[in-house]
Amino acid sequence: MISFSSLNPAVITVWFLSVSAIAMFCNHPVITILTLTGAVLFYLIRNKGGHLRSHLFFLVLFLILSIANPIVSHNGATVLFVMNNNPVTLESLLYGINSSAMIVGVLYLLRSFTQIMTSEKLLYVTGRLSPKLSMIMSMAIRFVPLFSKQGQKVNDTQKVLGLYKDDNFIDDIKGHIRVFSIVSTWGLENGIITADSMEARGYGTGRRTQMTRFGFTFSDGTVLAASLVLTALCAAAVAAGKISFNFYPRLISSEFGFMGIVGSAAYALLVFMPLLIETEVKLRWNYLMSKD
Amino acid sequence: MELFDVKGLNFAYPECTENTLHNVDLTIEKGEFAVLCGSTGSGKSTLLRMLKPELTPLGSVSGDIRFKGESISAIDRRASSASIGYVMQAPEQQIVTDKVWHELAFGPENLGMPREDIARRTAETASFFGIGEWYDRDTHSLSGGQKQLLNLASVLVMDPEVIILDEPTAQLDPIAASDFITAIKRLNQELSMTVIIAEHRLEEIVPVCDRLIVMENGRIIFNAPPSEVIMNMNEDLLRFMPSAARIYRTLGNENEECPLTVRQGRSFIEKNFRTEIRSLPSQKKEFKSDSYALEMKNVRFRYSRDSKDILKDLELKVRQGEIFTIVGGNGCGKTTSLKCASALVKPYSGTIKVFGKKLKEYKNRTLYKDCLAMLPQDVQTVFMCDSVREELKLANADISSLPFDISNLLDKHPYDLSGGEQQLAALARVLAANPKILLMDEPTKGLDALYKHKICKILHQLKDSGVTIVIVTHDIEFAAECSDRCGMFFDGHIVSVGTPDEFFAENSFYTTAVSRMTRGIYDKIVTVSQAEEICRLNGRKDGLK
Repeated sequence: MISFSSLNPAVITVWFLSVSAIAMFCNHPVITILTLTGAVLFYLIRNKGGHLRSHLFFLVLFLILSIANPIVSHNGATVLFVMNNNPVTLESLLYGINSSAMIVGVLYLLRSFTQIMTSEKLLYVTGRLSPKLSMIMSMAIRFVPLFSKQGQKVNDTQKVLGLYKDDNFIDDIKGHIRVFSIVSTWGLENGIITADSMEARGYGTGRRTQMTRFGFTFSDGTVLAASLVLTALCAAAVAAGKISFNFYPRLISSEFGFMGIVGSAAYALLVFMPLLIETEVKLRWNYLMSKD
Repeated sequence: MELFDVKGLNFAYPECTENTLHNVDLTIEKGEFAVLCGSTGSGKSTLLRMLKPELTPLGSVSGDIRFKGESISAIDRRASSASIGYVMQAPEQQIVTDKVWHELAFGPENLGMPREDIARRTAETASFFGIGEWYDRDTHSLSGGQKQLLNLASVLVMDPEVIILDEPTAQLDPIAASDFITAIKRLNQELSMTVIIAEHRLEEIVPVCDRLIVMENGRIIFNAPPSEVIMNMNEDLLRFMPSAARIYRTLGNENEECPLTVRQGRSFIEKNFRTEIRSLPSQKKEFKSDSYALEMKNVRFRYSRDSKDILKDLELKVRQGEIFTIVGGNGCGKTTSLKCASALVKPYSGTIKVFGKKLKEYKNRTLYKDCLAMLPQDVQTVFMCDSVREELKLANADISSLPFDISNLLDKHPYDLSGGEQQLAALARVLAANPKILLMDEPTKGLDALYKHKICKILHQLKDSGVTIVIVTHDIEFAAECSDRCGMFFDGHIVSVGTPDEFFAENSFYTTAVSRMTRGIYDKIVTVSQAEEICRLNGRKDGLK
């Protein structure tokens, strides 16, 4: 097995979409806890801890969202206390905590996903869907840094040439608008050369193929199949109402039964799959190194 | 075998009364290395574009162009886009995609090649050009030279039979340009690739080409091996030629072979000229004033806290009314030092004074009013309007007070001008601020020999009217010709300063072709005119005139 991030981008995308879909459609606390721990652990392992500041941001977000719900929503039977003539209920508080845990979990996942999926991988995935779209995206991705670099250069030049007469706020804004407008013209002008260069290299002479640098290996197949099967098991259990949870008016969990247990276990496996793969890769590496 | 066969070609752009190409006849043999030269606007680009069906401009055409015996308009588009490769001037704008590997794959993808073939082709081409190391990079992060090499490689990956290049090195610095030319030479010699190239950097390319084609006003006026062409060309065109050939034209006679390289030039002088007089009588230059226009002391600068120092204890003193040139390799901090001097970036230590006053004492941007101006490397960034006329109006410029004439450019869009014309228009705009000190970053980039000469004359006129000029350039020949003092920039500071004669005579690598040619024979000979003068003073060994 190779490390999770070097799998075929399509496989990674399928995994990510399945996990976040289940996490968002099923609000059972078991699922939420699994999502949150899995997502946070995966992020920590990938970033060797990561920046304190970003964790702090997620913590604050979690607290705000958790508190917001009981303040706004007054459903639920167990009143904790009364604030401004409005009851604050236990159910509402727990619902808030559950939902914010889900949101923060998915955000952590998204963060790892954007780290793994470089522009090149994203283009590969969109290219599977539409080659034209992927071509346009590739050109756009190239154009953004080009545009801002040129803007900076024009700005510097014009500053030295006295476009901005004095330290005047309005004058500065006017100047920036002018710079933006001329850089747009520059972009169009350069577009003509790029179009020539494309045509000179045979763009639009017929069907084109797409070169990719991502193969589909046995590992990819295994992970893809596992993701799909596990997702199907869990989705079936959710659809059959075996993993559901009511917060209002009182907290009631559905009877899990055999199907519910299998579904939850399948989801647990799915969420922790990248972690398992990374750990296996690391252990095997250490083992191979130690043999010398 | 004939690859291209052009007969009686005439071409006029729509709504133009005059033909851009007149009755052009040209054949290109397979495996040939043909160089096309001529001043700006002589029709070189138009002729080259006529040879590439995808890029043929609209207009009225008469005459016949055949590619491998077949009329060029009848060739299938897929076949012609693959077998005729074309590289243009602008390195940045020709690149289509965001990744180096994808750019290489772009052409073969368009041809609908199977994936395995594309992988093999890109791998092969990348190895040939040494692109392997930056195969994964983003295209926008490459240097200009790398970008142009990538453009060449991504044409070659389609396996063309001929490669046409339209001034490919015009926007590169001399070192990147000579790397690029080396790559083309290799293609021709190792793969016997047919090359047709329009160029004005001819010092390195003329010695290896088979044929020199010279165009003037839309006609081919010479089409022969280089040494034959050089014997017959006029004074203006001669400026484009290698230094050795220029010396030969004034001093040689027809019995001798025309020297093209530095080595040949050296043996030409050694063989034919006496060496009693070693150096020219020195002309002491008087400086108008002893006060300094620009002083930089112990300047240190870095872009961010964790990065390396770009400028390290930079010391620079430019006298009022002189032309000071800073030369040096890529990325050694030359441009950054100009940015510091013009207060675009702030050094973290050291002082910078302009006319004896510290930069921070110039409050409210008064520095840029009637005091200091900078002409950037990319002159396109100067233009903000749709025509040169509006441009000058914006800057309140007075055309009649300029030391040069741009009245013929007034109604054109700045982006439509040629490189040299853009330089002049930008200079006009910059001079409108009445600068007393003018900073110029690479003023000769993309200019042909005639425009370089013109810029040099203009700079001297400006100097005579009291403007101090600081130039940063890679162009050693230009620095030798136009400056009062030169400084060599290396590793974040200036390591040596001197007048061009001393400075370039002391350097052994970083110096002009003439200096390398006359080293050890004569002293302090740096420019072509100096070499001609000293040879004349000494006289020929065989006593001929």
